[in-house]
Amino acid sequence: MNKVSRKAVAGVAMAAASLLVLSGCASPKPGAGFIECGVSDEGSWADKSFNESVMDGMEKAAEEFGVTLNSAESNSSEDFAPNLDAMVEAKCDVIFAVGFNLVDAVNAAAEANPTLNFVTIDGYSTGPTNLKPVGYAMEESSYLAGYAAAYYSTTKVVSVYGGIQIDAVTAFMDGFYYGAKAYETETGTPVTVLGWDPVAKTGDFIGGFAPNAPEGKTIAAGHLSAGADVLVPVGGDQFGALQEAIEESGFDAKMIGVDKNISVTSPEYAPITLTSIEKRMASAVYDIVKELAVDKVAFSGKEYRGTLANGGTDISVTEFIDADLTAKLAELKAGIIDGSIDPLS
Amino acid sequence: MSKKKDLDPVKSGQDKATSVLHEIMSGDPVRIGLSILLGFLIGAVFMVVFDKNVIKAFEDFGTDPSYALSSIWWTVQDGYGALFAGSVINFGADNFVSAIRPFTETLRFAAPLIMAGLGVALTFRVGLFNIGATGQMLVGLAGATFVSTRLQMPIIIHMLAAVLAAVVCAMIWGMIVGLLKSRTGAHEVIVTIMLNYVALSLFTYLLRQPNLLLEENGGGTPKSDNPDGTARLGLLLGPDFQLHYGLIFAVLAVVFYWWLMEKSTFGFRFRMVGHNPSAARAAGIKVENTFVWALAISAGFSGLAAANQGLSVDGGLTTSIEAGIGFDAITVALLGGSRAGGVVMAGMLFGAFKAGSATMQVAGVSPEVLGVVKALIVLFIAAPPIIRAFYRLPVPGPKVFEAAQQAKAAKVIK
Repeated sequence: MNKVSRKAVAGVAMAAASLLVLSGCASPKPGAGFIECGVSDEGSWADKSFNESVMDGMEKAAEEFGVTLNSAESNSSEDFAPNLDAMVEAKCDVIFAVGFNLVDAVNAAAEANPTLNFVTIDGYSTGPTNLKPVGYAMEESSYLAGYAAAYYSTTKVVSVYGGIQIDAVTAFMDGFYYGAKAYETETGTPVTVLGWDPVAKTGDFIGGFAPNAPEGKTIAAGHLSAGADVLVPVGGDQFGALQEAIEESGFDAKMIGVDKNISVTSPEYAPITLTSIEKRMASAVYDIVKELAVDKVAFSGKEYRGTLANGGTDISVTEFIDADLTAKLAELKAGIIDGSIDPLS
Repeated sequence: MSKKKDLDPVKSGQDKATSVLHEIMSGDPVRIGLSILLGFLIGAVFMVVFDKNVIKAFEDFGTDPSYALSSIWWTVQDGYGALFAGSVINFGADNFVSAIRPFTETLRFAAPLIMAGLGVALTFRVGLFNIGATGQMLVGLAGATFVSTRLQMPIIIHMLAAVLAAVVCAMIWGMIVGLLKSRTGAHEVIVTIMLNYVALSLFTYLLRQPNLLLEENGGGTPKSDNPDGTARLGLLLGPDFQLHYGLIFAVLAVVFYWWLMEKSTFGFRFRMVGHNPSAARAAGIKVENTFVWALAISAGFSGLAAANQGLSVDGGLTTSIEAGIGFDAITVALLGGSRAGGVVMAGMLFGAFKAGSATMQVAGVSPEVLGVVKALIVLFIAAPPIIRAFYRLPVPGPKVFEAAQQAKAAKVIK
């Protein structure tokens, strides 16, 4: 440990020296000394989806405020607790646990370490006040995506399937379903939504968030052959598998991204991406770190909830969304924000 | 043997092939030690080349070359130092409990690797390749999960019943391979690999069934409840440590394996078939039946590993609970030279990799580096000439090989 700190001192000195050399004179960054830490859900930090969003937020904070970033990937559920323990040992100032799967592990860690601060993305607190839940009203933006999908579809069959049947996933599916059905009610054209029934709460799920799971491809192929021409995989990075399924089917189908704007993050998918349902976790993470490290606000366990109104969630603009649809979506969005439209009915 | 070699080139080629195979399986401790060392060395190269600080330091090489060079050393020391702190003793910890917790974590991760590794090792000794530990574990998990979540029994008995269910289910799965091999001649490598996929789908299917394994009030996600409190593997060292009774099962498994392979007549038959099936058959051993039993018992060890995973889980169980142990078990068996003691050491090494992975990531080393180290160790063990060339070791000539064979034969006769 001695040697490690020696290196740290040398590193800081070197960094300071090189800063002086390179940029003339610079004041130390406001968040220096603050340690932000993240533990991923199954799947890597580079999943083009929810893990990556959180990492983006942490990286941006590290770059702008000079905070130290520690991260650990979980390869399977047995890594959750050891990874959180490692962060506790590293004496992090704030620890982000990404994903609903970590909810038990992070609650246990928060209870065992009342002096440390934890944030659960998509999870909830079972009591500890040093655990801040970050959640999103994904049904709001998914409602818009559902409407857009039904509008764009030529077969008027659209599909949605999930990683695991948990609220953080089914919120997308509920909103998508009712959005598509709103198009049906409005135009009188029947719309079929495959993969999810929000009343019976049954649907098609992959069984995990492992990237491009073959189970997901099988589900997609089934939906494609049932006529679906707009598909939404709500389960991390399933876009490669879906793209393959679409190509192999030979149909002219589009997909809808989730969590991040995949037309931008993965331009190779842009030609077949109708839009993306963005869950802007990067900005929430960035804001939390900024509050703690720069504004020196005391940590609070109060829930953060991203909505259409506060910009925490929205759908992406792409070339496939025409002017009529854009106008209609703006109208729906205003309706959801002012409460006249319930995205869950 | 050397005379034959001179006369018959085809025969000599065959001899060479068997000798290489024997060399790989022989588990020479020096060669294995050197393979591990070389694996770590090359792992260090990956660590350095992809380290942001080192890259930055080398960009400023002109201004401060000594810093750039020392940054290489610091990166490696930090990375492997973190592995040590995360898997053996954390000298920087505030209290005794957190200082020694890393080692208990290593033991916890090592236990299932050792149990499954023994299973694979057993088949190696019989001259078979069991690549199916993954599938056997999944089927064992199905059995353990059913008993631990659906049946009600008194404490301890419930746990033992669940462990037994895992072992029996896995053994049946392994026996299928043995029967296919001995009755139809199907190759066990292909059969076990294919049965891994069958087992994965079967387990997922069972996890989806509300009246079998699906969690209470569960939806479309294949996930089970936690095992009942009566069936759980209790904590071994109190609530401060995660280490549970799975370790005891691992110790018992090691003792049993040693007795079975080194002391029992059953094990003698196994080894004899492994050395030379034709000779074993001539000596009156039913080789086909031996294959069936070897694969079944091997799978039984994987079943123990499955019980270890399934009866210690928190937050319900999905297919990911298998955690790659079935494949790591092959490496563990190979690394351990298929001997009880060797498998323990190899299991501990891989357990340490798992336990130390988180601290290493905190130190800024990507988790893939450990994957590379693991893969390289296997590669070097599977390719003895590379290690010999790197360390300039002498080639084991026919004389050396012959002497080794004679020593072995003498041992067998004893």
